[in-house]
Amino acid sequence: MSSTSAPLSAGSLSALEAPSTDGASGARDFAHYLVRKVAAAIVSFALLLVLGFIIFSLMPSNPVEALTRGHPTSAKQIAFLTKQLGLNQPVWERFGHFVLNTLQGHLGYSWQFEEPVATLVIQRLWPTLLLMGSSTIVSILLGMWLGIRSGWRPGKLLDRTSTGTAIAFWSVPTYWLGILLLVLFSTGFGPIPPLFPAGGMSTPGAVGGLAPSHILDVARHLVLPCLTLVLVVFAQYQMIMRSSMIDELGNPYLLTARAKGLRDAEVRQKHAVPNALLPSVTLIFLQVGTMISGAITVETVYSWPGLGYLTFQALNIPDLPLLEGTFIIFSASVIVFNLLADLAYRYLDPRVRRS
Amino acid sequence: MRITRLARRGRPSAHRSVARVRALLAAGTGLALASAVLAAAAVPAAASSGSSGSTLRIQAQTSFSTFNPFTAYFDGDLEVIGAIYPTLTTTNEKGLPVPYLASKWSTSADNLSWTFTIKSGLKWSDGKPITAADAAWTLNLIMHNSVAATSNGALVANFKTVTAPNATTLVITTKAPQANMLYVAGSIPIVPEHIWASEVSGLNNFKNQTTPVVGYGPWQLTGYVTNQYATLTANSNFFLGAPKFHTLIVQYFSNSDAMVAALRSGQLDAVEYGLTATQFNSLKHVKGITVYPQVSATWTAIELNPGARTRSGRAFGNGNPALKDIRVRDAIEMALNKQELVSKTLDGLATTGQGYLPPAYPQFVWTPPASMQLTYSPTKANQLLTSAGYKMGPNGIRIDPKTHKPLDLRLGIHSDEASDAAMAPYVVEWLKAIGIQVTVDSMSFNQLNSDLPKGDWDMLSDTWSTGPDPSYLLSIQTCGDLPLNNGTAGNTDAFFCNPTFDKLYAQQSTEFSTAQRVQTIDQMQQILYQNAVDVILYYPDWLSAVRTDKVKNYFFGTPNAQGFYPTPSQFINWRSATPVASATSSSTSTAIWIVLAIVVVALIGSAVIMLRRRATVGARE
Repeated sequence: MSSTSAPLSAGSLSALEAPSTDGASGARDFAHYLVRKVAAAIVSFALLLVLGFIIFSLMPSNPVEALTRGHPTSAKQIAFLTKQLGLNQPVWERFGHFVLNTLQGHLGYSWQFEEPVATLVIQRLWPTLLLMGSSTIVSILLGMWLGIRSGWRPGKLLDRTSTGTAIAFWSVPTYWLGILLLVLFSTGFGPIPPLFPAGGMSTPGAVGGLAPSHILDVARHLVLPCLTLVLVVFAQYQMIMRSSMIDELGNPYLLTARAKGLRDAEVRQKHAVPNALLPSVTLIFLQVGTMISGAITVETVYSWPGLGYLTFQALNIPDLPLLEGTFIIFSASVIVFNLLADLAYRYLDPRVRRS
Repeated sequence: MRITRLARRGRPSAHRSVARVRALLAAGTGLALASAVLAAAAVPAAASSGSSGSTLRIQAQTSFSTFNPFTAYFDGDLEVIGAIYPTLTTTNEKGLPVPYLASKWSTSADNLSWTFTIKSGLKWSDGKPITAADAAWTLNLIMHNSVAATSNGALVANFKTVTAPNATTLVITTKAPQANMLYVAGSIPIVPEHIWASEVSGLNNFKNQTTPVVGYGPWQLTGYVTNQYATLTANSNFFLGAPKFHTLIVQYFSNSDAMVAALRSGQLDAVEYGLTATQFNSLKHVKGITVYPQVSATWTAIELNPGARTRSGRAFGNGNPALKDIRVRDAIEMALNKQELVSKTLDGLATTGQGYLPPAYPQFVWTPPASMQLTYSPTKANQLLTSAGYKMGPNGIRIDPKTHKPLDLRLGIHSDEASDAAMAPYVVEWLKAIGIQVTVDSMSFNQLNSDLPKGDWDMLSDTWSTGPDPSYLLSIQTCGDLPLNNGTAGNTDAFFCNPTFDKLYAQQSTEFSTAQRVQTIDQMQQILYQNAVDVILYYPDWLSAVRTDKVKNYFFGTPNAQGFYPTPSQFINWRSATPVASATSSSTSTAIWIVLAIVVVALIGSAVIMLRRRATVGARE
């Protein structure tokens, strides 16, 4: 899959013609490149920190009312709660605390859960990684497989059906699709009985831990949310891979490969695919970066106890420390993976190294 | 070899198509197998839930946050806390106070001192005796510790002292006579001092989620899976008798469609809250499920802003000043066809509203006399506005005689409430018919909550519920709940403030005779009705559904003439629920056969593909 195994394209030929650089200057270039990218990432993070605080501070909210709604609450209690939540402080003071805490690694204390935000994030990280990880892997495999084959033979039956299907699912509101699958497969329809659970991550009361029955139980709960995400997301990979493959179709190196007597599948897999992969790699890194934030709608539809659902719960109050804390984590994740994508690009594409 | 390859590439071969189809078939077969295996895994779980018959699965009202009774706010937490910690009293199915920890009680001649006799012989789940000292310690902590007062501080605001002269006697003295003491005593969970004394210093951070939790009640908290469900085990030593189910699982579903799906598939045994009229009707004819409408303890109203002001009388907010005019508010009430609203937006599953307190607790129901009633009549509403000087403008919108501006009001509705969205167009149309233009502002719950205390609204859709004691619902209409000048501390419903109402509120809180108290509360409801700040549209039925093929006696009591069951109480329902003897679902056996069929077909398909691939391996080479 690495670029070294790919035959020479026009781009790579010109790369060979470019003046070569020695090892020391290459390392120096890389160091400069790395410093530039890391500095840009730090600036992005700082900007997001400020932006996040401003957005959440501007949100219309009355957390004390939301927390105590319907509950006999005296004026004394309201005043105490307002002070306890820090809502009596001016915005600039709250911002100062927010920045200082963030720099010290403290993500704050959730008003709603009465627990450190970091603890809540760690508790819900694993369910999110499981859901998003599995759906991302399946989406990549399915989308790339279909994209490669659709792009290799554009206009054929497989291309028309897979592209149409992908676009249709991509256009469907995730929430609606989730509810539809939930109603169909968790309550059954016609002679089909209920096959999968309506929500949660495991059957209440069942044995937990690493028992095979528990693993199977979690997998069963995972099917519908994962399927919903895959159906909505795989189109991205399918469309980008298809488009990249079509771009490669007319290149002379493919004719050369065919002239060497290679089978069609070999020409496609060993020559066209490696050159068409770069845009998909970018997409994969971006997707992995957003993975940690979960899928708010899908986790909410299926009561999946992950970070997306946690964000939804935080928005309901709104629980500002929790929102700010999750925002920091999500932003940091996207920035880090963007940085990794830049570095990977440098490795995968010689043109980036030269530039 | 080379020629063969070129030849293959040269013609779009049937071989490639076949290979592609086979690959797809293989992938499909793999997916089908994986799905079948996972679905098959469901079968034992579904079967066990029915056959064991000793686990009751209930939906939680909210997600879980903490089981610390001093700091818990959310209904999901409070339901569990109510099942695992005792109170001095509880309420029976009619909503009347009955003994719990206290076997009897008496008051002093001046009604300022209450003496509760605590049952002897009761034990916490760790075997230590429950004494009056535990109750005194709990109540004193709430009275003197701000963090401990987070949840129930308002309930003890009138308490002066709480002492335990001996193990079975608890004495509460109050600053003023407190008529609702027995309801208050039934609302504050009592905790074991020997467990909680060490937690006081870090009370705010103590979530009480390490199981098993030491307590006393019909249930003991024996398991908790973060943000998913709580497991409770029946207390066989409970003084009213052990619950009929051995285990109770309370699970939260984050959307009501999932909750209904879970009920249909047997993942839940009962849904007490949150059913919409559509969902309720769809469950009516499902085999094994029985639906129960209950008398409502809720009202839905349009609140009219009569002019936002602080306790000292300083006006603020941008509410339309026309709504300060009682004639405009009355006209709005008369313009709304509540009966049509109920039948068209709620499938008739509500009762049209008039009095402030909902019908669940009949002793407090008040209906305005015929002469006072503002019944639906657009004609009278138009006449009232015309006589008040609101002349009709050229475009059919009346002009405010004071501001000379068209009568244009904003209606704030909850964007996440289907019933609000259904109601709004009717209100717009009906008010247009009397010359009032309405602009609908669909807002999130947070936006609406944020706007309310700022007074930046004209009309808001709102819903409130009450328990057996209406004190809190009445309190939000008092002047004392208006905000302070700095904008804080207000818990007002709609900026209503009336000195006579406040006087009656104080009076009812000291009236120990139920008849007298009801009479006073009736007067308060009359004041509210005549001021038309809350136009009560309807009392929505409480809609529930139970898997009666698995559970019986969950709801009991005799439905009234309209077919409504008494308002539920989890404390009673969860104990009363009884497993049905043979509850194996027929759909389970169907599921087994279908899953087996899928597995067999998938296996045969895989075998055929493998055999064919093996047979053609030579051709492919």
